[in-house]
Amino acid sequence: MLQIFLQCLQLNPSKFISIKLFTTILFTFLFVFLCSLAIQKPTPLPLQIPKGWPKPPSDIFKNNKPTVEGFALGRQLFYDGNLSSDGNISCESCHQQFASFATFDHDLSHGVNNTFSTRNAPALFNLAWMEGYHWDGGINHIEVQPVHPFTSPNEMGETIENVLAKLNSNAEYRSMFKAAFGDEEATSERLMKSLAQFTGSIVSSNSKYDKVMRGEDEFNNIEKKGYELFKQNCSSCHKEPLFTDNSYRNNGMPLNRFNDVGRMLVTGRSSDSLKFKVPSLRNIQVSYPYMHDGSIFSVPQVVDHYLGLSFENNPFIDTVFKRKIELTPRQKNELIYFLYALTDSTLLKDERFGPPKRIF
Amino acid sequence: MKIFRTLFFVTVIFITAVNISFGQNSTLKINFEHYANGKKIVLSDSSYNNIFGEQYFIKKLRYYVSNLKVNGQAFTEDSLNYHLIDLAKSTSIKLPLTAGKYNKLVFMLGVDSSRNCSGIQQGALDPAKDMFWTWNTGYVVFKLEGTSSSSNADRNRIEHHVGGYRFGNNISQFITFNIGEVVLKPDSISEITINVNLDRYWDSVNTIRISEDPICTLPGTLAKKIAANFPAMFTVKPE
Repeated sequence: MLQIFLQCLQLNPSKFISIKLFTTILFTFLFVFLCSLAIQKPTPLPLQIPKGWPKPPSDIFKNNKPTVEGFALGRQLFYDGNLSSDGNISCESCHQQFASFATFDHDLSHGVNNTFSTRNAPALFNLAWMEGYHWDGGINHIEVQPVHPFTSPNEMGETIENVLAKLNSNAEYRSMFKAAFGDEEATSERLMKSLAQFTGSIVSSNSKYDKVMRGEDEFNNIEKKGYELFKQNCSSCHKEPLFTDNSYRNNGMPLNRFNDVGRMLVTGRSSDSLKFKVPSLRNIQVSYPYMHDGSIFSVPQVVDHYLGLSFENNPFIDTVFKRKIELTPRQKNELIYFLYALTDSTLLKDERFGPPKRIF
Repeated sequence: MKIFRTLFFVTVIFITAVNISFGQNSTLKINFEHYANGKKIVLSDSSYNNIFGEQYFIKKLRYYVSNLKVNGQAFTEDSLNYHLIDLAKSTSIKLPLTAGKYNKLVFMLGVDSSRNCSGIQQGALDPAKDMFWTWNTGYVVFKLEGTSSSSNADRNRIEHHVGGYRFGNNISQFITFNIGEVVLKPDSISEITINVNLDRYWDSVNTIRISEDPICTLPGTLAKKIAANFPAMFTVKPE
């Protein structure tokens, strides 16, 4: 190299060199251009924050900017039952789109080898606005959440090593990893990041409530009254527009047969006993049954649960219940009608989040 | 022909830079040797007794060593900054250093809290290494699994997954070593050995009895009690 440079310096200056220089530069540009065509960069797919919504409390995509390719890979993985130890259980098994990504009509969910979970599968949407995941908030980042269902013996029952081996032995997956991350090897990091890109991009913001807020629709009279009742009785925990304040509270559900003490499992503080995450009320119509163990099967029964709470009889419940909730039967129905206006039928049918073409 | 002169200088600088980095190519190798009852630990094969006369076998012994500093020099690259010492796999760490004399080594026994809460990690911190709590995010700092007839737990097991980074339960801690005077010659490897004495695991600041605490799988009081014994376990092997 050095010799060539020195030779060039000795020949200096001549017309010959400037022509040579010009062609060299031309070919360099052409080469770089062709290279950039060959190495296709993934197309960015940034999270869209609905108008009027707060900014997410922290940026779940800080080190993992979503791309069209990463999202597509995450979607493929989300729907792939082969990743479980018996080939049957995918993420989607317990997070079905028509149930706003909860398990439809099941108090508990099914894992491999006829096992059951011990909690109700939560709906998956607006995850970018959450500060902790799972009913007890034990998961502190969206990227590390899938490690749990992959490895739990009563969920997918697999090891991360085996999941990666399955992915790496599949040519289609390898090309998807290459498209998303520039390299075809499946690693834990890429696996979790692509799943986070898919699940973290699921946004529910097109219910009748949202349309009313945007001035595109109007509540009917019953919904209007229900909305007022909601604001008076429910909104301190189920805060608009996400319909949760991301807090953990004891809502009076008794200790269940699994001795599930909720948040206390994570913090070790007895004051956190029986506290569970306040779930969003969006899509409540389709995500039944309710509560952390799925023990209440209908919305009217959930409302009855709150109407029956008494702070005097159970001083361990959240102080928000010091003020007793009282509704007439008519008001109860009005409230429920409003809650049904939180159903986002766009999300339930959105093809971007639906099953992809099978590649296995 | 300014461009050629520039290219020439760039080349010269490049070659010089490569030469300098060759000069930095010395290595400090830190070996971890594990003992109990004065015997070198062999997984599963042999039994040991703690000071309370409780006999035990070891199946797994793993822990995180991170944020190393040699005479104040840190290693920013993740692959150099985070290490999983695993008796079944790897028990040494190699650090690139410039030639010179070194006398002080500091490392964190554990994983700094920021890596516990910033999403998926790679290398030694890959959750596939089985040192990660999946349901309550965070790293297990020190994992000791085995069996003991003194254990009243299922199948006489000892299962100590000692960790915790939040809610006042942080157990990751820095340990400082005086390593004498290690002379690193250019382009060569020098080794030091850290002895890890498991006898002190059961008895130093606190006493940990297998009969009382065979299981520790959560951050909290017991994990903190065990972790208080960690610094006493690690000593530099004399020359």
